[in-house]
Amino acid sequence: MVDLLNLNTYVPALFVVLAPVIGGLLMGIDRKLTARMQSRIGPPILQPFYDAIKLWGKQPFLASGLQPILAFGYFGFSVAAYALLAFGQDILLMIFTIAVADVCLIVASFNSKSPYSNIGAKRELLVMMSYEPVMILAALNISIMTGTFMIQGIFDITVPLLPYLPLTFLAMIPVLVVNMKKSPFDVSASGHAHQELVRGIYTEFSGYTLALIEFGHWTKVALMLSFVTLFWAPNLIVGVALALTLFFVTLVIDNVYPRLDWKSMVKTTWTAGFLLIIANIIGLIVRLVAL
Amino acid sequence: MRTMTKARIKSPWVLHFDCGSCNGCDIEILAAQTPRFDIERFGIVNIGDPKQADVLLVTGPANKRNQRVLRNLYDQMPAPKTVIAIGECACSGAIFHNCPNTLGGVDKVIPVDVYVPGCAARPEQIIDGIMLALQKLEKISECQEEGG
Amino acid sequence: MDHGMLLALTVVLPVAAGLICLVANDGLIRRLVVAVTTVALIASSLLLYSGGGFVYEPAPVFETIILVLDFVLLVYFLYAGFRFGNLLVIGLTLLQLLPIAYFEFVMGRVEVDHVLMVDNLSLLMSLIISIVGSLVVVYSLAYMDEHEEHLHLERSRQNRFFFFMLLLLGAMQGLVFSNSLYWLYFFWEMTTLCSYELIRHDGTEVAVRNAVTALWMNLLGGVAFVGAMYVGHYYVGGISLAELLGHSQTPALLLLFATLAFAAFTKSAQFPFNKWLQGAMVAPTPVSALLHSSTMVNAGVYLVLRIAPAIQGTSLSLGIALVGAFTFMITAVLALNERVSKGILAYSTIGNLGLIFMCAGLNSPLGYAAAVTILVFHSVSKGLLFLGAGVVENRVHSRLIEDWEGLLARLPFTSLMMIMGMISMFLPPFGMLIGKWAAIDAITTSPLLSGLLIIMLVLVGSAATTVYYTKWLGHLTVLPQAERTRKGEELPAAYAVSMLSLFCLILVMSSGVGLVVNGLVLPAMPADYWGGFYAGLLSLETFVGSFITYPYWIAAGLILLMGLLIARRKGGVVKPPYLSGENVPDNPVAFRTTADGEATADVSGMFLDHEVSSPQLLRMGTIIGALVVLIMFLTVVL
Repeated sequence: MVDLLNLNTYVPALFVVLAPVIGGLLMGIDRKLTARMQSRIGPPILQPFYDAIKLWGKQPFLASGLQPILAFGYFGFSVAAYALLAFGQDILLMIFTIAVADVCLIVASFNSKSPYSNIGAKRELLVMMSYEPVMILAALNISIMTGTFMIQGIFDITVPLLPYLPLTFLAMIPVLVVNMKKSPFDVSASGHAHQELVRGIYTEFSGYTLALIEFGHWTKVALMLSFVTLFWAPNLIVGVALALTLFFVTLVIDNVYPRLDWKSMVKTTWTAGFLLIIANIIGLIVRLVAL
Repeated sequence: MRTMTKARIKSPWVLHFDCGSCNGCDIEILAAQTPRFDIERFGIVNIGDPKQADVLLVTGPANKRNQRVLRNLYDQMPAPKTVIAIGECACSGAIFHNCPNTLGGVDKVIPVDVYVPGCAARPEQIIDGIMLALQKLEKISECQEEGG
Repeated sequence: MDHGMLLALTVVLPVAAGLICLVANDGLIRRLVVAVTTVALIASSLLLYSGGGFVYEPAPVFETIILVLDFVLLVYFLYAGFRFGNLLVIGLTLLQLLPIAYFEFVMGRVEVDHVLMVDNLSLLMSLIISIVGSLVVVYSLAYMDEHEEHLHLERSRQNRFFFFMLLLLGAMQGLVFSNSLYWLYFFWEMTTLCSYELIRHDGTEVAVRNAVTALWMNLLGGVAFVGAMYVGHYYVGGISLAELLGHSQTPALLLLFATLAFAAFTKSAQFPFNKWLQGAMVAPTPVSALLHSSTMVNAGVYLVLRIAPAIQGTSLSLGIALVGAFTFMITAVLALNERVSKGILAYSTIGNLGLIFMCAGLNSPLGYAAAVTILVFHSVSKGLLFLGAGVVENRVHSRLIEDWEGLLARLPFTSLMMIMGMISMFLPPFGMLIGKWAAIDAITTSPLLSGLLIIMLVLVGSAATTVYYTKWLGHLTVLPQAERTRKGEELPAAYAVSMLSLFCLILVMSSGVGLVVNGLVLPAMPADYWGGFYAGLLSLETFVGSFITYPYWIAAGLILLMGLLIARRKGGVVKPPYLSGENVPDNPVAFRTTADGEATADVSGMFLDHEVSSPQLLRMGTIIGALVVLIMFLTVVL
C-alpha cells in the first residue's frame, strides 16, 4: 500500500503536509472575495496565517485539561482524513474519520461549562447529522460508477465523474456550505463574526487551542474541496477549477443568504442531498445498463 | 521584526464593551466596520469573546456597577492585550465625571493604553487609536520576545 | 475432555449453580459458586471452540426430561397468566400447550436425527454467552448487594435473582447447540421465563406490568415456534434444522422460516415488538446487561443467521432486511428524544439488532460477515455500557443523562468505562463501526430499489446514532471546576473486575480486529458465504473497500500522544467560562444579574421534543413495523 521507495508516494504525502496551508490560503481568499463582494477592501490573503500565529503566542487560558488534547485531535484526525484521501483509500473510512475529528471538537466544546459552547456543540452535532448521510450517498454514487469505494478507483476509470454524476456534484454545494460554516447554515459558529451564541462552539477556545481548531478547519475545507476535485480526476487542473467554482458559489450564497435555523439546515441538506443523489443513482444505473 | 510580533500587529482582534455610553461612540465603532471605513483590512475583527480578543475597546464612563464587569472582561482576556478608551466619557468621564454614580474615566478601573477623545469619536480617529495601540503592542511584543 | 462432558459443563453446570444459589441464600456461597461457574464456563467454551464442530446425541432420557420440563414451564406460564389476569398470556400459552400436547400424546413423538449439533456459529455464540454473561453475573454480586441495601430489604432475595441469571446462561447455551426445533423452542421459552422472572424481580407494580408485557410478547414468538414445528412436521418433513436447511425452497419451507423469523423479531424486540424491551429497563441493571443487550436478545439474530443460507434470494430475506433497517432508523431517531440512560441503551440495542437483521437479510457473503461482526462487538460494548450505567445509577441515584454532568470528576473509573463503551459503539477504529462499514458495503449488492430504501434508512439511523451518543458523551465529559475533588472512586472488586475485563476485551478485539475476523467471524460462516470479507495484514478488505486497521490505531495513538505533548509544553491555566458579564467567584456557571443577584447559566439537554415526538413516532413505528412483517408473510404465502 505505501511503498517508501517509489517517488509517487511522496506526492500525496506532500499534499497532506500542505493541506492546512492550502486551506489557510483558501480562507484568506474567502475573506478577500467576501470583502470585495461587500464593496470593501478586505484583509490580505495571508491574514489567516497571521491570525493563527498570533493565537499561538497568546497566554494560554483553558476551559479544562482535556480541551487542548481534543483540539489537537480535531486537527490530527482532519489531517488523517486528508491522508486517506491523498493516498486513495476508502471514501467511507475517510468520512468516518472526519466524524471522529468532529466528535473531538464537539466533546472539547462540551467540556467547558459555558452555555454558549454547550449549545454551539449541540448545534454542531446537528450540522454533522445533516452532511454525513449526503456525503455517504455521494460515495455510494461514485462507487456505482467506479465499482469500488476506494478513491484510487476514481483515478483508475479513464472518464471524469462530472458528466455522469452532475446532480451529485450539485449536492456537494449544501455540503460545502455547511462544512465551511457559511450562511445560511452557519448555526454552530460563523467565520470570525460573533453571533447570538457569542462564538458558538468556538467560544471557550483561546490562544493555541483556537489555533489548533483553525488548523483543523483549514484542513477540513481543503479536504472537502479536494474531494470535489475528484469529479474530474483525469485532469486535476479541471478538477481544481471545479472545486474553486463551487468555492465561489458557496461565497456568493453566503453573502446573499441570512442565517437560518438548524431545522432549515437539516431539511434543506437532506432534501436536496437525498433527492439529487438518489435521482443521479437511478439515472446512472439506467444509463449504465442501457449502454 | 520577528514573526510573532508581526502577526500580533497584523491581527488585532477586538472586544467592544459599552460601559454606560449613550451609544454614540458605539455607533461610530460599528460604522468603522462598515465598507466605508473597513477596519477588517487591517485584520481587525470584532470578536465578541474576551478569551479570543487582543484589544478591548471601551466606551462610556466607568461606574460603580459596571466596574466589576469591566474588570472581569479585562481579566478574561489573555496577554498580550491593550485597552483603548473611545470617546470623552471613557477617557475622563466627560460631563459625567462629577456624577455620584460614575467613577470617571475607564482608567479608574483598568489600565488604558490609548485614549481616543471625541464626542462622539469619529471612525477615522478610532482607527488611528487602534493603530497607536498596535505600535504599543509591537513594543511590548518585541520586549517579550527578547526575553524582557 | 469428551464432548458430552463439555456440553454438560456449558449447559447443565450453570443450571446446577443456579439451583445451589437458590437454595443457599448466602453471599459467600454465591460468590464461590459464581466464581467457579465463570471459570468453568469460559474454560469449557474455549475448549469446545478449539475442538470445532460436532454432532451429539444425548441419552434418550433427556428427550423425556425436556418434554416434562416444557409442560411444567407452559403450565407455569398459564398460572402466571391467571395470577396477573392477563388474557393474552393465557391465550398464547394455551396456543402452545394444546398443540404440543396433541403432538406428543396423539401424534407420537417426532424423531430428530441429531438433537444437538455444534458448529462454529454456535461455538461463537457460546463464547459470547460464557464470557460476557459470566462477567455480568460477577458484576451482579456487587450490584445486587447495593441494590438491596438501597431498597432496605430485610431478607435478601438474591437467591432468586442469581438462580434465574444462571439459568439463563444455561438456557442460552442449550439454545445455540440445539438442532431439533423442539429443543430450540424449549430453551427459547426458558429464556422467556428467565426474562419474565427477572424483570418482575423487584415486585413493584411497574415491574410486574412490564414483566407480563414481556411475557406475552415473547410467548407470541413461542406460538410462532409451535406453528413452525407444525408446518415442519406436516408439510416439510421434519423439525431438524440441519435437514430443513438442506431442503429445497418450497413455499411450505419458506412459511416455516417466516414464522421462525417472526419469533426472532419478538425475541430481539424489533418493531412492532419493541415495547417489551423498553419496559424491561425497570429491572435491575444486570438483567438489562445480560438479557436485554448482550445475550438473550442475541437469540433472535442467531436464529435468523442460522436460517439465512436457506432463504437466500427470497423476498422473505428482503423482508427481514427491511424490518431490521426500519427498526434501526426509527430507534436511532427515538433515542434522540430519550432522557433516561437505560432507555437510550435500550433503543440502541434494538437498533443494532435491527442492523444485524438487515445484514443477515441482505444474505450475501459480505452481509453475513458484517452481521456476525456487529453481533460480536455489540455484545461486548453494550454489556460494558449497561454495567457502567448501573454503577452510575447506584451512585448518582438518577437515570437521567442530564444528571450525569461532572461524572468524569466524581467517578473517573466508571466514566472512563462508559466513554470507552460509547466511542466503541460508533467511532472508528472500533469493531462496531467496522461492522457498519461492512454493512454499507454489503448494501451495494442488493437490488436497486430495495437497496436505496435500505441505505437511506441506515444512513438516517447512523447519523442519529452519532448525535445521541456524542450528546451523551458531552454530558459525561463536562468538567465543572467547582468539583475538583480528586478523591478516589470507591469501587467494589466485582465492579472493577467485570468492567475492566470488558474494557480490555473491547480494546484487544478492536485493535486486533483482523485476528477476530479471521479467527472468529469467518469460521462461523456457512461454507458458501466465504469470500466477502477478509483480513489482510494492515487492513480489512471487502470487494468494494478497504478498512485500514493497525496503521489507523498507530495514527490515533500518535495523535493522542502529540496532543498530550503540546498540552504539556504550552500548558495553560483553567479559567471560568465567558458568561457575558460578571462571573461569580468560585462558581463557574453563575453570573451576577440585576441588584447583584446570582443567576446560574443552566443549559438543559437537547432532546428535540418538538421535532421528534416519541409517542407519535412509537405509534407510527408500531404500525409500519406490523405492516412490514405482514407484507413479509404475504409474499411468502402468496
